[in-house]
Amino acid sequence: MRAFFRLAPLGLVAAAALLVAGALPDFGAHSLDPAPDFTLTDTDGTAHTLSDYEGEWVVLEWLNFDCPFVRKHYNGGNMQNLQAHYTDLGVKWFSIVSSAPGEQGHFPPDVMNARNEEHGGAQTAILMDPAGDVGRAYGARTTPHMFVINPQGEIVYNGAIDDRPSADLATLDGATNYVVRALTEATGGDEVTTPRTQPYGCSVKYGT
Amino acid sequence: MHRALPLLLLLAPALVAAQDDPSPHSDADLVSDAPAVRPGEAFEVALRLTMDPGWHSYWQNPGDSGLPTRIDWALPPGFEAGPIQWPYPERIEVLPFVSYGYSDEVLLPVRITPPASLDAPEVTLAGTASWLICEDVCLPAEGDVALTLPVGDGGAVAPEETAAMAAARDRLPLASAAWTARAEPADGGYALHVTPPAGWSGSLEDAYFFAETEAVVQHAAPQPTKRQDEGFLIFLPASEYATGPAERLTGVLVAPEGSDIAAGRRALALDVPVVGAETAAAAAPSRAGIGLGLTLLLAFLGGLLLNLMPCVFPVLSIKILGFAQGRSDEPATIRRHGLVFGLGVLASFAVLAGLLLGFRAAGEEIGWGFQLQNPWIVAGLALLLFGIGLNLAGVFEFGLRLASAGGRLDRGDGLGGAFFSGVLATVVATPCVAPFMGAALGAALTQPAPLAVLVFLTLGLGMALPYVLLSLFPGWLQRLPRPGPWMETLKQVLAFPMFLTAVWLVWVFGQQTGLNGVALLLVAFTAVALAAWLVGRWDAHGSTRRQRVVSRTAAALALAGAMLAVGAGVGQQAAAAPTAGSGDWAPFDPAAVERLVADGRPVFVDFTAAWCLSCQANKAVALSTDAVDAAFERKGVARFRADWTNRDPVITAALERFGRSGVPLYVLYPGGGGAPRILPEILTPGLVLDALDTVDGPVAVEGADALPS
Repeated sequence: MRAFFRLAPLGLVAAAALLVAGALPDFGAHSLDPAPDFTLTDTDGTAHTLSDYEGEWVVLEWLNFDCPFVRKHYNGGNMQNLQAHYTDLGVKWFSIVSSAPGEQGHFPPDVMNARNEEHGGAQTAILMDPAGDVGRAYGARTTPHMFVINPQGEIVYNGAIDDRPSADLATLDGATNYVVRALTEATGGDEVTTPRTQPYGCSVKYGT
Repeated sequence: MHRALPLLLLLAPALVAAQDDPSPHSDADLVSDAPAVRPGEAFEVALRLTMDPGWHSYWQNPGDSGLPTRIDWALPPGFEAGPIQWPYPERIEVLPFVSYGYSDEVLLPVRITPPASLDAPEVTLAGTASWLICEDVCLPAEGDVALTLPVGDGGAVAPEETAAMAAARDRLPLASAAWTARAEPADGGYALHVTPPAGWSGSLEDAYFFAETEAVVQHAAPQPTKRQDEGFLIFLPASEYATGPAERLTGVLVAPEGSDIAAGRRALALDVPVVGAETAAAAAPSRAGIGLGLTLLLAFLGGLLLNLMPCVFPVLSIKILGFAQGRSDEPATIRRHGLVFGLGVLASFAVLAGLLLGFRAAGEEIGWGFQLQNPWIVAGLALLLFGIGLNLAGVFEFGLRLASAGGRLDRGDGLGGAFFSGVLATVVATPCVAPFMGAALGAALTQPAPLAVLVFLTLGLGMALPYVLLSLFPGWLQRLPRPGPWMETLKQVLAFPMFLTAVWLVWVFGQQTGLNGVALLLVAFTAVALAAWLVGRWDAHGSTRRQRVVSRTAAALALAGAMLAVGAGVGQQAAAAPTAGSGDWAPFDPAAVERLVADGRPVFVDFTAAWCLSCQANKAVALSTDAVDAAFERKGVARFRADWTNRDPVITAALERFGRSGVPLYVLYPGGGGAPRILPEILTPGLVLDALDTVDGPVAVEGADALPS
């Protein structure tokens, strides 16, 4: 019996250690994918390198102005509002065009700028990726396809812009915007509820 | 804008052209092979999409991009339309992407049920179809469709429409019991095992599984197949957008050309549970569940720890005494007693689990410690422990064996006594939610019933183990002191922990019923003391039979009086005021907490109960200290106290949200939108102060935290 009581404190310590291990909030959390670095030239001729924006929140949006799904978000003012709102808060927002020359959505830089002005786009810059290398590195499938990158250069969100896979303008009403949710949760220090969703839209028009 | 104008003019014709035709590169109409509509008799129509070469529309899961076709019906009154029955699709490869859809022409059958009576000579079924039509580029398309059919007999169907409908039906997946399938998670995907009926001569090599929903299977990846045993093994790579393994694989398996599933049909409908995905999925999300193994380990350790908890200690004392007395017994007897004690513990935990599950099934909002939320049980336990204390102190002896459970507790010679020690130990342990217990019980409450029972039994196992070990290894017993007069002294000393435990229960009773309740309970204590004295004064040794009959009758009356007093005390329950809000602590109000958290204010919630000793200890040594109080003030932390002394469904629900079914629970919302943090169940001032250090001051935070939603 005395031995039992001599051993008991040891057991308590072991138990407490296990308790601490078991109580760790990150139990089972998955690690985040690093965002592939890239350098792309924007429609004004300025080069942007992702790693230069370390320490800042970055949103990547795959763009094809002639895709009906993209049109839904631009004609309804949704995409521009998000861009204005988040760039005002210091988020870097890049719209990337991975359409190959001759494919839908590819325009010379001045036409891109004109189309964008017509919509009132408020992104940090539109980046041209005619070779599709950056699109392929990210696995960008559709327009729109959204990525949210944290200040450590990790992808905290990869997927659809919202939960209404449709080209119908009416579906903007009441949709859950995954990018907003990811940014809200991630910047608040929370784990992102849905870190990945299947993107919807037109396929990215990569060259062959 | 000025730069854009000429460009816009250039682009305008193309845009106008696209918008002029509501269904570019495709057309929709409605066909049927039913010549006429008969009242109450269901029939089928089909939406026919005719597409230009190279253009396609999409299946219910469009694959990597695209949209499923839909129909918004405008049917005559009383008509009902079923869902689209999807013929199996083709893979449309626009590498690196693969979509699932149709080209050239497709018929999408829909079952229509007319009302039981129809007056009109003919009916018109109308609707608007919308689909996405893609080649390289995608265009949304829309078409109003209508079909007029005569009512009753007559009418005619063009033979080609009958043939087209038949062809569409041949492409519908076949549900067949002759085929069996099972699935399990495999490296990076799923292993789908499909067994054809005996005698099937085809092959599933090069078969393809179309998953019905997105984010399950990677659409563009090949699906390697091979023969295995009596059937085929198909590997399905998981979608990169899946957040966990799917619980079921639902979709269509299409056999290669020349290998019909059944005559003329190539597609088999599958809805297969993924064996092992449920537990994997339960372990994957970090917040809700913990793995079964860890749960059981925690439950076991929690049970072990229960032995050292203050509320079990008196029973522990009894048992030690029992072992001390049993030293002279045969090892076999000791072993038997140890095992029976263990059985008693296990049986109690099984009963508790049964009760908990029963209540859970009945939708009752209860939790660990619920026994002590009932003042009858609190009073009964207090009186029982008081009586045991009187016995230990020597006021009366069990020479004549009072037929109570407690009466045998200090005797090593009754197997029943050993069993009931186990039962009593469990009942008394209830409020001491040892650190591990919270998580384990939370798991038990959220798990299926067999698992919950398993968790409870593991708790019991942990609690009983030391005794069982002691009885199995008499070597340990050799180290116990030899029997002697010290045993009587020890026995009397052990009366005092009993009294202290009773005092604690009286206090709990007081929290539930107020001062009047306590007074009435103390009356009951006096009555029990009277009964004990009556029995002890005229015991078997120095009294006549008549004296004993009278004294025992009087004792029984005294006990009856005690019961009446307790009943009156319990009746005070409603009058007792809640004690939750005191000082700077507000009574728990979930809405207020939510509001403050939304405003970015730091909030601390203390889930507590009067009968929870650890809660009271934490309050005394940590939460009520000046240093902690000052830190709370400095950081502007709003403090709430959720008092679970009496049953409260709001608090029960709040506990469950944190995966707990008992107190204590300490939750700190750091403010600024941060995730709530759960503090350990045993608090020290330093621990609370450290936690409060992570709270930003009352000033709103600039920067990333200020991002609105």
